[in-house]
Amino acid sequence: MTNDKLQKKKLYAISSENRQFGFTLPLKHTIRIGKRDYDVKLKADEKLGTYILWKNRKYPVEIVRSRQNRYEILFNDISYTFTVETPFSLQRMKVLNAQKGKATTEYIKAPMPGKIIDVLVREGGVVQRGEPIVILEAMKMQNEILSPVNGTIVKISAKPNTNVMKDDLLVEIKP
Amino acid sequence: MKIKRILIANRGEIAVRIMKTAHLMNIETVAVKTAVEPNAMYLSSADIIFDNTEDTSEIPVFLDIEKLIAIALKSGANAVHPGYGFLAENAYFAQKCIDNNIIFIGPSPDAIYKMGNKTIARNLALQNGIPMAMGSQGNIANEEEAIAIAEKIGYPVIIKAASGGGGRGMRIVRKKDEMEKMFVIASKEAEKSFNDPSVFVEKYIENPKHIEFQILGDTKGNVIHLGERECSIQRKHQKLLEEAPSGALDAKLRKKMGTMAIQIAKAVNYYSAGTVEFLLDSDKNFYFMEMNTRIQVEHPVTEVITGIDLIEQQIRIANGEALKFKQEDIKLTGWAIECRINAEDVQAGFAPDPGKIESLSMPTDSYVRVDTGIQRGSSIVASYDSMIAKLIVKGKDRKEALKHTKMALDKVWIKGTKTTLPFFRMLVRHPKFQNGSFTTAFIEKDLEKYYFNAEYEEMLAAWLAVKLFVEENLSDDSISIDYKHGKEMNPWLLNKRISQF
Repeated sequence: MTNDKLQKKKLYAISSENRQFGFTLPLKHTIRIGKRDYDVKLKADEKLGTYILWKNRKYPVEIVRSRQNRYEILFNDISYTFTVETPFSLQRMKVLNAQKGKATTEYIKAPMPGKIIDVLVREGGVVQRGEPIVILEAMKMQNEILSPVNGTIVKISAKPNTNVMKDDLLVEIKP
Repeated sequence: MKIKRILIANRGEIAVRIMKTAHLMNIETVAVKTAVEPNAMYLSSADIIFDNTEDTSEIPVFLDIEKLIAIALKSGANAVHPGYGFLAENAYFAQKCIDNNIIFIGPSPDAIYKMGNKTIARNLALQNGIPMAMGSQGNIANEEEAIAIAEKIGYPVIIKAASGGGGRGMRIVRKKDEMEKMFVIASKEAEKSFNDPSVFVEKYIENPKHIEFQILGDTKGNVIHLGERECSIQRKHQKLLEEAPSGALDAKLRKKMGTMAIQIAKAVNYYSAGTVEFLLDSDKNFYFMEMNTRIQVEHPVTEVITGIDLIEQQIRIANGEALKFKQEDIKLTGWAIECRINAEDVQAGFAPDPGKIESLSMPTDSYVRVDTGIQRGSSIVASYDSMIAKLIVKGKDRKEALKHTKMALDKVWIKGTKTTLPFFRMLVRHPKFQNGSFTTAFIEKDLEKYYFNAEYEEMLAAWLAVKLFVEENLSDDSISIDYKHGKEMNPWLLNKRISQF
């Protein structure tokens, strides 16, 4: 990445739910709400670690993951995932998304290490968003892995009574 | 005092909690150091640490009866406190302690056994005229029998494991053609979880409140209750928040339910602390569910409103002392709410999120009590439960307790794992929680979103993402930092980076 990106004067953070937050460059340490600018400060101290100071309140922040232009940020105990785009890459992303349509496969991965108790779907079956697809036992709790989309089960990799590691592929769903 | 030295057959916050009271009573404590948590906080509360780190057994020591007895004998402990979970409700363990002249701080093995077996407990309740959901007389053999009973008492019904607990081996059946499948699932789950496939059927109470009574009994036959706890905020039968008292009870109903709770306890000659659980339906009918023969996770809310230290009472009762107070001496004052702050990812359906606690800061206001076994640097390990801390908040009434809870939640600061904090921040703002009309179906039926965030919070997170991107990609003098490893990033380097912003 080179400094010519700076000339674009603006960056966008796009949330996983496709909400768009635009910021002009150079990045200011204020955020405008309504007609007022409020100071935002990123700080750290020995006791609390990293935090954001906003309207006289400290909010804990953590960078959970960062890959290229993708960031997962834990802000006040809630996780947000963004991709940071320049006006140019944002435009390209929109074009690519339009070409791909919505039919990208969802890869359901194990959110934690554990044991597969049951697989509740079969290949070729149809699932609704929020429907349990796999039961994973971890830390003495049975956890239902829910489908994030409406779609068709393309492939099942999870087998009952087997152990899985975090991020192991369980099920592929075609929306 | 006969009890001189107590082996704590447990870990985590409850081990810390028990040792705190033991110290106040000038009783020595022994804690067991394990390879899984060699630096755990509870070890620093103990007078004597028994090193069991060389133990390579697959079974946690806290479940190993023979080993615990040996540790008690070797360390010179003449009493054992089992805490909750692990062997707390194991009649064989209690008997083994007695056989080795070790005082078991809990009820008699006979009471543990009878209340642990749901079929026996049901029959005891029946004989004592305790209201109960209609159901089968004893265990049922097959789905035909289950269907016959369901037709008689009407659907929906619930199949429960006779030796069950904690929500496992339970299945709700709403119509006849679901029975065969559910019967097999419940029975299998019961066998897997409790080594006993026997199940029974009872009428399923729709949308009840979970109300439980705290019982104290001594070995002289005195039994009293310390009021109720409301534990309806639960997910998959796991309690998340408890309060005392319950807004659903008035003095008359409290007396009626409390009397029934004492009666069922007396039916097994109960001594020590125990809890009688009821379901309360929307018409204020109540039904006996089960009795827990141990100290419970949520015991602090009762301690707050009664001023009685339940662990102290358990120790005194085990020591053979008579209760110092009668039923009429028990006064419920104020309101208490407990939030179970667990290492769970609320956004991922409460999936456990084990990890190392990088920083931890708790409110120190006078209206807050924190029970925890976790400190900075502690790990939430996958082999145990996901509890980080219990945040117990008091107020003069429910309204004030709620206000205090809301304030306290914003002062809890935990880094390193995701926590259930965003859930509680949502809960205290929910009208149905505020007005007290919630039932055990609340989380499943009334919630669209499991967490709370203010509108601007996402924008601030977006600002941080852009900030990091600018730093990484557009800075001329960038220090090379491996951001790809996210959390494992050297905090010193991160701080250096931040100071440059």
